[in-house]
Amino acid sequence: MQTQDAIAPDYTERPKLNYLNNGWTVKSWLLTKDHKRIAIMYLVTVSAFFLMGGILAASIRLELLTPASDLFESGTYNKVFTEHGILMIFFFLIPSIPAILGNFFIPIMIGAKDLALPRINLISLYIYWIGGALVLWALMQGGVDTGWTFYTPYSTTFSNTYVMAVGVGIFINGFSSILTGLNFIVTIHTMRAPGMTWFRLPLFVWAHYAVSLVMILGTPVVAITLLLVAIERFARVGIFDPSIGGDPILFQHLFWFYSHPAVYIMILPGMGVISELISNFSRKKIFGYEFIAFSSIAIAVFGFLVWGHHMFVSGQSMYAGMVFSFLTMVVAVPSAIKMFNWTATLYRGSVSYDTPMLYAIGFLGLFLIGGLTGLFLGAMGLTVHLTDTYFVVAHFHYVMVGGQVIAYLGGIHYWWPKMTGKMYSEFWGKISAMLVFVGFNLTFFPQFILGYQGMPRRYASYPEEFQVLNIFSTAGASVLGIGLLMPAVYLFHSLIYGKDAGDNPWMHPGLEWRTTSPPPTENFEVMPVVTWEAYEFGEESGLDIEGARQREAMKV
Amino acid sequence: MSAHTYSNKFVYHEPGLQHQFEDMGQQEESVSIGMWMFLVQEIMFFGGLFTVYLVFRSKYPMAFAAGSNHLDAFWGGLNTIVLIVSSLTMALTVYYAQISKRNMQVIMIMLTMAFGATFLGVKAIEYTDKYNHGFVPVTGWNKVVRPGAAAEHEELAENKPCYEHAHGEEHAYVNPRGEFQWTDCSLAKQALDHNYLTNAEKIGYFSNGEIDANKFRDKVRIFFWIYFVMTGLHALHMVVGLGLMTWLLWTAFKGRYNMEYYMPVEMSGLYWHFVDIVWIFLFPLLYLLGRHFLHG
Repeated sequence: MQTQDAIAPDYTERPKLNYLNNGWTVKSWLLTKDHKRIAIMYLVTVSAFFLMGGILAASIRLELLTPASDLFESGTYNKVFTEHGILMIFFFLIPSIPAILGNFFIPIMIGAKDLALPRINLISLYIYWIGGALVLWALMQGGVDTGWTFYTPYSTTFSNTYVMAVGVGIFINGFSSILTGLNFIVTIHTMRAPGMTWFRLPLFVWAHYAVSLVMILGTPVVAITLLLVAIERFARVGIFDPSIGGDPILFQHLFWFYSHPAVYIMILPGMGVISELISNFSRKKIFGYEFIAFSSIAIAVFGFLVWGHHMFVSGQSMYAGMVFSFLTMVVAVPSAIKMFNWTATLYRGSVSYDTPMLYAIGFLGLFLIGGLTGLFLGAMGLTVHLTDTYFVVAHFHYVMVGGQVIAYLGGIHYWWPKMTGKMYSEFWGKISAMLVFVGFNLTFFPQFILGYQGMPRRYASYPEEFQVLNIFSTAGASVLGIGLLMPAVYLFHSLIYGKDAGDNPWMHPGLEWRTTSPPPTENFEVMPVVTWEAYEFGEESGLDIEGARQREAMKV
Repeated sequence: MSAHTYSNKFVYHEPGLQHQFEDMGQQEESVSIGMWMFLVQEIMFFGGLFTVYLVFRSKYPMAFAAGSNHLDAFWGGLNTIVLIVSSLTMALTVYYAQISKRNMQVIMIMLTMAFGATFLGVKAIEYTDKYNHGFVPVTGWNKVVRPGAAAEHEELAENKPCYEHAHGEEHAYVNPRGEFQWTDCSLAKQALDHNYLTNAEKIGYFSNGEIDANKFRDKVRIFFWIYFVMTGLHALHMVVGLGLMTWLLWTAFKGRYNMEYYMPVEMSGLYWHFVDIVWIFLFPLLYLLGRHFLHG
């Protein structure tokens, strides 16, 4: 079979135009229909929200350094953790991987010129901006103190903060995520290149298909719920106020019907990234491709049936609680299938420890802890003791930060040379990956113990016997903060001083590595025809990967 | 590796083909799946409201029957017919686009718009009626009736035992602050006498072992709250639909649609039918269920 060089595909000369230098005006960015430019604009905005949420997180940890509420009074503290949750969940975690990496790479990975509905893609970005602006405005005006969950009747009747503005902001922002999901589903169905069958799709694409299902089915429900809360505050009557016969538990049902699947919106794309990283950096086909692909779909489906485990102590019927507890155990199975398959992929693989792979390995450990502690919380009896303690906080941070944020950083490092054409400093990359791992564990592992000992969440002050572990946690947060700020520095640095990455710096077989870096506006010079399976490192891939690796080794 | 190169501007382009697609078949499939996904999203959006309706209806069926009986089934039924006919004219619009008849397309779009506007007009009549009778569940959004203006009932509504009111009695009570008013608990009384109150109702309507007019009123207010949110959101979708129709009218008038390119017409049609179907569910749920209680 005719193979081509893995590092330098047979382009006679490099195309002068790529998506970045194809037009320099502001208008060419703001009115672009190019999914890659839209992804870059998402990257900038999402990073800004991440920074704001991170600063709020740092101030929470600073407050909790001492037992007394000395940095903030209780009311301010409520606003700080509420805004931290809202910014991180709705404006960072949910759009992070889908809207940036998914937007950028799904069309390239399936060999398309663009997403199927580029104008809808641009509209989703503007909706995200409008929703974000409204929430930021409310933050500047004085914020909101209900917790990111907006539980009624506090949010509808008693809170004197900007609940309505924030609710409407999240309502608007929801449509951004709906439109992104809609676009992905259409694109994956209709835009695949010749030969790119469903079971040749990279698992990143499968994960995004599952996420899109959740986005389309779940987000509208929370949108209408928050709209009802906003109208209820405005009209001073409604259906969630128990003093007039309304039902506050109904709010919790409607809210968690979306917000539990939303944690799968947050983690599934991360799992997609990890599948890519583990398989590619082990240089072998992923173990159990179909199992990983369908476990994503299974998570999306079962994820819709477990929302009641957030309401075990809210006055939900005991029998409903038993069913939800059982289904919570069931939804752990597909996640476990993924874990086993990733581990099996590593076995006898030719593993290299580049920066993205360090993040991926960190993910395996952290997500394992996050997932298993989730089973503790899903067990109906134990959860009575653990509800609303720091155990819960530690659990979901292990999944959200230890899972999604780590996967997001791994993905950004992995695809950075493709997105920008520049290589970052591998040395600093590894240092920061390890700082993030150490800092993260130091921050959140003590919180498991604190929670188990009974320290409640969402209070600005705590009894003095909890102080030692809280100091550990705050110290860890500063290490984590440094570890997260470092990439911002060396990635920017690489834009100007970084060395040219080449088209395929990792020597990987995916379609995205077969075009130039940065990709041209239409992604490929010629339309690719796919004749190989996903993660094919042998000759069947049409690339001489082994030969290229040997030549590289000789050069050194 | 190269099977065929990308089409570029020197190659013949079918009119209406977007740059990211290879051919019209791919574009039509994409647009169609996209629209269906959007409708799935809409179903979940309204689905939240239908859930709210079901929860409260199963809790307080008598209050819902009482509220439902004060909606006018004539106007609701008329609107149902108007919308179904508008769906027919919409379907005919797609048909005439498919066989490239421009004039008939324009006529059918105008008819569809006329029916849509009629629907909204009837809705306005109904809303005004609710406003006049004090059925809007928001304080201050009802007609203010000061003392002296209403000749028949010079007292505040809540001063009378509420189940003594006969059906169909005019609600001309003094309402100086434009509050939600409800004076008729006879259905709750009837259910009590025949022993078919639900457990939630036995708690929700009573204080000190007697039917409490204010507590019953609160449950009827929940019905009207749901009525206004659901029909209001539906009416908003109608307004968006009319906007789409205006754009469609202009482009159809310019002759954009023919047997080779009619996707926008078909997609607008899907949207219009969806909004129609939502009403097909709203009408029986809000206007018809519980009417039989009137006749004992």
